[in-house]
Amino acid sequence: MNTKKTEKLLMTAIFLYLLIIVFPFIWVTLTSFKPESEIWGSSALKLFADRPTMEHYEALFKAQIFNSLKNSLIISSITTVYVTFIAAFCSYAIARLQFRFKKILLAVILATSMFPQMIVVGPIYRVFVNLGWTNSYYITLPYSMITLPVAIFILITHFSKVPKEMEESATIDGASKLTVFFKIILPLALPGIFTAAIMTFIGVWNEFLLSLTLNSDAYYRTATVAISFLRGQFQIFWGQVTAATVVVTIPTLIIVILFQKQIISGLTSGAVKE
Amino acid sequence: MKSIFKFIDKKTAYILITPAVIFILLFSIFPILGSLRYAFFDFQLNDRAKSGLYMNSQYNMALYNETIEYIRYFLDIEESVVQHDSTKHQIDDIRALLDSHDQYVKKEIAGADMGAIVRLDQEGLIYVNGMRDDINSSLERLYSLDEPFYSKEDTLAVASELDTAIIESNFSGFDNFGRVLTDKRVGATITFTLVFTFISVFLELCLGMMLALIMNKALRGRGMIRTISLIPWAIPTSVAALMWSYLYDGSSGIVAHMFSVIGLISESTQLLLSSQGALGAIILADVWKTTPYMALLLLAGLQLIPNSLYESSALDGASKLQQFRYVTLPLLKPSIFVALLFRTLDAFRVFDLIYVLTGGGPGGATESISIYAYKVMFAQTRFGYGSAIVLIMAVAVGIITFAYIKLLNVKLVGE
Repeated sequence: MNTKKTEKLLMTAIFLYLLIIVFPFIWVTLTSFKPESEIWGSSALKLFADRPTMEHYEALFKAQIFNSLKNSLIISSITTVYVTFIAAFCSYAIARLQFRFKKILLAVILATSMFPQMIVVGPIYRVFVNLGWTNSYYITLPYSMITLPVAIFILITHFSKVPKEMEESATIDGASKLTVFFKIILPLALPGIFTAAIMTFIGVWNEFLLSLTLNSDAYYRTATVAISFLRGQFQIFWGQVTAATVVVTIPTLIIVILFQKQIISGLTSGAVKE
Repeated sequence: MKSIFKFIDKKTAYILITPAVIFILLFSIFPILGSLRYAFFDFQLNDRAKSGLYMNSQYNMALYNETIEYIRYFLDIEESVVQHDSTKHQIDDIRALLDSHDQYVKKEIAGADMGAIVRLDQEGLIYVNGMRDDINSSLERLYSLDEPFYSKEDTLAVASELDTAIIESNFSGFDNFGRVLTDKRVGATITFTLVFTFISVFLELCLGMMLALIMNKALRGRGMIRTISLIPWAIPTSVAALMWSYLYDGSSGIVAHMFSVIGLISESTQLLLSSQGALGAIILADVWKTTPYMALLLLAGLQLIPNSLYESSALDGASKLQQFRYVTLPLLKPSIFVALLFRTLDAFRVFDLIYVLTGGGPGGATESISIYAYKVMFAQTRFGYGSAIVLIMAVAVGIITFAYIKLLNVKLVGE
């Protein structure tokens, strides 16, 4: 009797919690189908549109939101590929090999993940201006600053989990350390590498400050920055804003639904000592 | 050939870490050192005389030579149009003055390599300043005469270039840091950032803990709960901020409307227009976005606690509350530490959320340190002062991290 009651209470709490999380999305999605006239005034708080319209989604084509989504996709993909590789090499060395300065390297990586991003933006901006690299895809290079530490920590956890015996037997057979790494460790740690890649991708996709300062030209803006510019100085077209929000959220939704297992493991590895 | 392989095998670790080290050096360490250097200069990108880091004063020889040549050229023209002999004498005097200065400059100031920009020592700086005043005043004296001069404005305009040729050192020592400490706006932004960080992280920890305990007990729908919990964490902060800015909007926003109905605010338009309302709005949006993340982290920690511990403590007659206090909390400490530390640091450097939601308004009431530093650097292009603000922030980050390590007594690196 009592357990049933508590379970009911639990379920209500969870339901309420989920509702609060989902509510803004639902509300924004519903608004995106309302004509501008229904967004203002008395009908603003109505659930459904009287005359549903797709006009805000059509207007997004003009606002270059799709172009900025393309930028985001390109920049995130490039960064993900090279950061994952570099991080895999480095984490394997840290997890399995002996070398001097290991502790210092770890401390430096940890420290860079804690520093406010603001501290690197000024000098990087100046160098980019001098090299003529602003408003280009070169922005993928400084993105290593925010993604490398996370990827490295995720991968260290995963490489440590690969059983040592596999390596040892291969070493006895005369394989070099690099061969062991490429032929044995990498395939076994593939799930971890995948996790690191997804966390890197999300990290870059969501980044705002570097994109805002380095790629200020509308043509090279990433989606996160482009969408913030929809809030004009004097007038806000909520119809367009909500439609853009929906469009930009969809890729994230797909990633979360497809890869939730990897994301959870990425979030908790390092955070939880097993 | 074999020895090469052997060498590679011996140095494998160094080869593997090299790419990461290069990237960390280029995009983390060097920029941080760069910011440190900027902070010691009065470095302003939009001011030509201050748009670099000049440890020493410098003199633009190319500009000087060009200027002197132009002045001579104009003097020749004036000589042909003036009527009084006395004026002609005066022009000759100015030429002699230019010659004598030029001799000195060529001998003492111009470097042996005849470079376009040369270094100035203290003596040289005094000399070129004196020379500029000397030439300007003699030209002004000439042009105060009553003569039908041909190009008064042009000559004086050209002569003013002598001033531009002097690039004074903009090394300012600890001035920027001193200014940060006395800048009232910095004080206000630090206070705001601390208030925001403390309240939102506290709420997120309490709510996150509650949710983690509830989720841990949930029998059905775990997968769905997890997926939905991930969404607020996964969407870009700027998108979340934009979404909330719509919900908070005075005339169309449903949350603003609800708040005014239950009496939290007097009128729905007041939410983002009052400083307290804006603070609350930012905190609510932040709590909405990061509490699920906190809950997931704590949940992962909870699931590592073996059930047997609860069973045995129940056998010993521990109540649920005692179990939480003596079993759950101590074993969850590492998870709580990591979640708290990273959330605190994240909240402390908050930028996107405020930039999109309020822009620091109303009237600077919701300006975080990051927002202020950004405005100083990119709106006013004062990179030197902005860097000093950011460095103060970095020091604060160090203090926070250290305090957490001491407070919760946890090891950060290594086992």
